[in-house]
Amino acid sequence: MDKVRRPAGRVFIHTVLLLFAVYSLVPFFWTALQSFKTFKDAFSRAPILIFQPTWANYQDVWIRSLPDAGSAVGYLILAAALILTCLMLFARYIPVNPAWIYIGCLVGYGALLWAIPQLVYMQKFYSYFINTIIVTVFTILISISIGCLAGYALARYAGMAAVLILISALAFRALPRLAFVLPYFWIGSLLNLLDSHLLLVIALVAVNQPFTIWMLRSFFMEVPKDLEEAAMVDGANRLTSFLNVIVPVAWPGIISTALFTLLLAYNEFLLVRVLTQTNWTLPVAISRYTGAEDPAQLTLAAAASVSATIPIIVVILFFQKHLVRGLAAGAVKG
Amino acid sequence: MKRNTFFAFASPSIVVMLALMVVPLMMALWLSTQYMTFRNITEPDFVGLRNFIEILEDPRFWRSFSFTALYTAIVVPSWVVIGFIIALFLDQVSGLVRGVYLSIFLLPFIIVPVIGTIMFKQLWEPSGLLTWVYQQLTGSRYRVNETSVKTLIIIFGIWYVTPFTIVVYFAGLQTLPAEMIEAASIDGASRLQKIRHIVIPYVSSLTVFILLFSIMDAYRVFDSIFVLSELNPQFKADTVMTYTFLTAMQVQRLGKANAMAILTVIGIMVVLVPFLRLMYKEQIADR
Repeated sequence: MDKVRRPAGRVFIHTVLLLFAVYSLVPFFWTALQSFKTFKDAFSRAPILIFQPTWANYQDVWIRSLPDAGSAVGYLILAAALILTCLMLFARYIPVNPAWIYIGCLVGYGALLWAIPQLVYMQKFYSYFINTIIVTVFTILISISIGCLAGYALARYAGMAAVLILISALAFRALPRLAFVLPYFWIGSLLNLLDSHLLLVIALVAVNQPFTIWMLRSFFMEVPKDLEEAAMVDGANRLTSFLNVIVPVAWPGIISTALFTLLLAYNEFLLVRVLTQTNWTLPVAISRYTGAEDPAQLTLAAAASVSATIPIIVVILFFQKHLVRGLAAGAVKG
Repeated sequence: MKRNTFFAFASPSIVVMLALMVVPLMMALWLSTQYMTFRNITEPDFVGLRNFIEILEDPRFWRSFSFTALYTAIVVPSWVVIGFIIALFLDQVSGLVRGVYLSIFLLPFIIVPVIGTIMFKQLWEPSGLLTWVYQQLTGSRYRVNETSVKTLIIIFGIWYVTPFTIVVYFAGLQTLPAEMIEAASIDGASRLQKIRHIVIPYVSSLTVFILLFSIMDAYRVFDSIFVLSELNPQFKADTVMTYTFLTAMQVQRLGKANAMAILTVIGIMVVLVPFLRLMYKEQIADR
């Protein structure tokens, strides 16, 4: 639409947007404040906005006991994480194939995550964090690889079978998780698979598949057909032309879809709650903090919530463009 | 693409959906006719339709159903109206400012819903910020009771899904042809008239899309309600989904819970089938 030009109108627009931003942020702001408060400050009747911040809640959430050389070990871990992150960010300036650097850094992060509990005695919360990473990563890998093949096929094949698959996927997308989860629970308890990462990953891949193929299909439909036809004239078969020609072109769309899969797996509560008993991921672990009657848990719940939200905020900052594209693709192109 | 190539590419996904969605649905249908608890999980008893009859006679089921209906009836219109209005405002700014606002607005939708719920709840603890504001404004103490828990659930529901409708409408507004607006401006239409007669009709297909998915999402909402009502079970803020969960995992009546899930599936299908037919025709026409 055309823009409002009158100064009073501009002021009004910015006021509304600012108020809505405050409305969106208040819970984050308050929880972050609470997470840095001591027990006494957090429970004062009139809210305290200025106080002496403390890291104690975060330490209680993550660390069970510090090693003797506590701060030295802490700096060592931070330095390692920092070096890896810098390597990732500046990979393109290093005269080595960046793919190798990325793979190396990912291996490095993995090693770091493995090493931390060897150096410091961590709380259970750390193992929930690791569970979340494992489940999320495998869900993305499996879901996107089979989803890409199907999404591409659905974008290029006009037969009746494709239409039927798309329509039934839409129907599955709309059904409640509980309708699928209870049979998984039944099978899981018969096969003794409850509490395993395997069952969680399988269940997450399954419930996300309808959404994934619809979204990937919409992105593959944007890729011109001439591209793979040219590649196939040059002697490549369907699969190699798909992998070498189509996937690189559709890559931003694939990233968008992967991002949504990440959010779905990271956020999942119901599936994890039903299919695990102790091997939780973060959402279930955090919901346990509030379940207790003990009011001291309040600041811990705040610290745990902030800890689990930071990775997601980092992801949004890096991938906002992809996220918005994904949301728009889901709706506008339908 | 040839038929065989299509199936070669799509088969992993088809197998996953058949084995992990169609088969479980069949199983749920079968389980719903069984009397099964955690104790006789390997040898359930066939009870026919008795689970369904039990549900329909269960007052707690109807209570949770009516709260689900109330939740949907309040939350869905709020998503659509607030989302549309904020998208119009967002469309008025550009560049970096727009990007920053978009990031901030998206935040409630992106974070883990359970964590969002906990953050929301922190505001309403006895020592919370909004409890204090409420007491300053009304002069009375904020009490936790059935109404206030339900209100909290509904406000949270509005807070965390509105970003989705904002972004969808915002993306829709970006595709609005400038000529349509220019023509209206030349005719001397006011801003409200333009919105009323051009923008709203232009985004109407988006509205249908949002309404459909919102109704189903609102109907099957689980996480936030579960977390908020698990703390205070005496406040009867169950929805159909949380009641199904409790029947399965706490009362341990797997058969009855599956029957409830089947009833929900049927309910959603009634809403969905006309839309699916529409999509089917569209896809056939597109071929």
